[in-house]
Amino acid sequence: MKRIFVLVSLLAIVSLVLTACGGGTSSNHLDAIKKAGVIKVGTSADYPPFESVDANGNKVGFDIDLMTEIAKRLNVKLEWVDMPFDSLIAAVQEGKIDAAISSFNYSPERDKTIDFSDAYYTSEDAFTVADGLTGNITKPEDVAAYKVGVQTGTTQDSWLTDNLVKTGKLPEANLFHYDRVDQAMMDLKNGRVDVIMSDYIPAQALATQIGGLKIVYHGVLSSGPLNIVIPNGDKELQQAINDIIKQLKSEGFIDKLAVKYFAQ
Amino acid sequence: MLVNFVSYIVQGTAITLAVTLIALPFGLVFGLTLALLHTYGGKVLNRLAALYSLFMRGVPPIVLLFILYFILSGRLLNLSAFWAGSLSLGIVSSAYQMEILRGALLAVGGGQMTAARAVGMSRLQSIRYIILPQALRIAIPPWSNEASIVLKDSSLVYALGVPEILRRAQQLSATTQQPFLAYGTAALIYFLLVFATNRALDYLSARTQLPTHP
Amino acid sequence: MPDPILEARSLTKIYGQNVIFKDINIKVTEGETIVIIGPSGTGKSTLLRCMNLLTGVDGGQVFLDGKEITAKGYNEDEVRQHIGMVFQNFLLFNHLTALGNVMIGLTKVKKMPREQAKEKAMEELKRVGLADRADHYPGQLSGGQQQRVAIARALAMDPRVMLFDEPTSALDPELIGEVLGVMEKLARDHMTMLVVTHEMGFAREVADRIIFMEKGSIVEEGAPDDLFDHPQHNRTREFLWKITELYGKKEKEKAGKS
Repeated sequence: MKRIFVLVSLLAIVSLVLTACGGGTSSNHLDAIKKAGVIKVGTSADYPPFESVDANGNKVGFDIDLMTEIAKRLNVKLEWVDMPFDSLIAAVQEGKIDAAISSFNYSPERDKTIDFSDAYYTSEDAFTVADGLTGNITKPEDVAAYKVGVQTGTTQDSWLTDNLVKTGKLPEANLFHYDRVDQAMMDLKNGRVDVIMSDYIPAQALATQIGGLKIVYHGVLSSGPLNIVIPNGDKELQQAINDIIKQLKSEGFIDKLAVKYFAQ
Repeated sequence: MLVNFVSYIVQGTAITLAVTLIALPFGLVFGLTLALLHTYGGKVLNRLAALYSLFMRGVPPIVLLFILYFILSGRLLNLSAFWAGSLSLGIVSSAYQMEILRGALLAVGGGQMTAARAVGMSRLQSIRYIILPQALRIAIPPWSNEASIVLKDSSLVYALGVPEILRRAQQLSATTQQPFLAYGTAALIYFLLVFATNRALDYLSARTQLPTHP
Repeated sequence: MPDPILEARSLTKIYGQNVIFKDINIKVTEGETIVIIGPSGTGKSTLLRCMNLLTGVDGGQVFLDGKEITAKGYNEDEVRQHIGMVFQNFLLFNHLTALGNVMIGLTKVKKMPREQAKEKAMEELKRVGLADRADHYPGQLSGGQQQRVAIARALAMDPRVMLFDEPTSALDPELIGEVLGVMEKLARDHMTMLVVTHEMGFAREVADRIIFMEKGSIVEEGAPDDLFDHPQHNRTREFLWKITELYGKKEKEKAGKS
């Protein structure tokens, strides 16, 4: 009896602490950011050309330049917080960071716990194979006959799971998960998997860099538009960022960025 | 450019060391307290300490790291990712250090406590002057092992966004497409750190060895 | 008869269902050496541990200088520094030198200044003939030497009474003599002693009184010559016969070896 009592009270304390620590964001988040003069933005800087580090450890890439401009127009300083992709949404939820930009795609599942800005760019998916692959991939469903690699937790991961694995077309054992796309591409080159599904832009960059790889299909499947992640229900920040994105699009800023980073 | 990259990874060493040097002593103080409570604290405290150890060692460190991170770094305490990560690692390590020290306390044996009490020492005095000096000596070799585990586990804080060695290696591997160079550098640094730690503790163990032959 | 220094009154110890000993009455008066003999497993060691409160009692009382130390709330730690104890397996503090072993009670319990404690500890080591081993660790000493350091450690506290729990039974035969020698000297110097031992020669020569214990109670007690030569009880006779047989064999072996 005693032991049960101790356990119950321990659980009560833990849940109390958790509630005290969690909780939603305050309604005037944007004011708080402006008052502090700093916006903390999370990114996973291991995904060139969207976000990566250069030889001096500085963050570079499409998303980096874009966010820098957004912060400038919000009239606040930008503080980068680098963390693995998987940790970003949780960090926004918990208020560790004010927003996250890391080539996020909208998905209804993600939308339940956080909010998205308007799209700042529309990306496509690609299937990449090694040069010597026999067989034909003309439409997306064709990859079900091969060993497919994908980055964990991405929209491509969900797409493959929902459309090929759950329908029984692709055996679960033939879906290989990677922490990062470049690792997946290296494995593709080494012949451990046959096809990689990823974002189209980085696929092009990686195929060129690594060599011996080619893209056999691209189009909008899983992902499409890229959005900035902001805390759930944070209307003010969402509105402010959306306004700036609109300006940047009309000024041609984003097209220029795309040429800078994605032109072959 | 490659030189720059390698030096970028090496800079992460300072962070890895800092995380380890916070986590290890914190885990030692916490683990020692738990070991003493477990061994000398009576039934209830004994059970509580055992339960703590069982839970902490039964859950993967990365899972605990996330839970503790969101507690330590919540609105109540609001520690930085670096401190929250380091202390979380220390908390995880405390359970393992508790087990090491518990074993060492057992190895010293009840006789030493009896003899100390017979001289007129209180329990606390006996533990402080008789039991601990012997138990800590016994604990050095297994503790050395735990020290290298914490050193290597310190790479887990990368998940919280602390840019230590592994996280930097990941970034550089992505940028340069030379995973072997990036991870090889990281591996070499970890190996050197672990090697140096173990050698230092071996030396300490030898220095504190009690003489047995005339 | 003078007031006893240490006294047990109808002392009883029970472990679960087992009665270890029951209704034991012992009085140790100043300068007296009492030896308790009896078969193994009759609760002699437990009795000693109860008398300095290392083990709790389940009935009866223990008095030190007329004060009941088994009374509730009595400061046990304070009591023990006045009752020296020597264990069967020495139990020296392994991380301390011989000198350190003797000193630590003085510095930590009696809060004596280091220099004074060191001087006193050296004196005690001299008393047991080990001044030249002061900086040796227990691991560097023979069993006999370790036991003599343990005696010095207990003596250093200036106890009112010394308890010896089979001090020679863990020793190789050739090392027993040096420990018994130290104990004999103590007895001659009128140290008050309560000794549990199987060394019948020592018991007969040194003891003022012998207590024969069996199955948790005192069967018989008396002066050594009376008890050894004219035991009143059959059980005492049987025990003495067995033990002298064994003792005689040991003596013969020793003679054969040399």
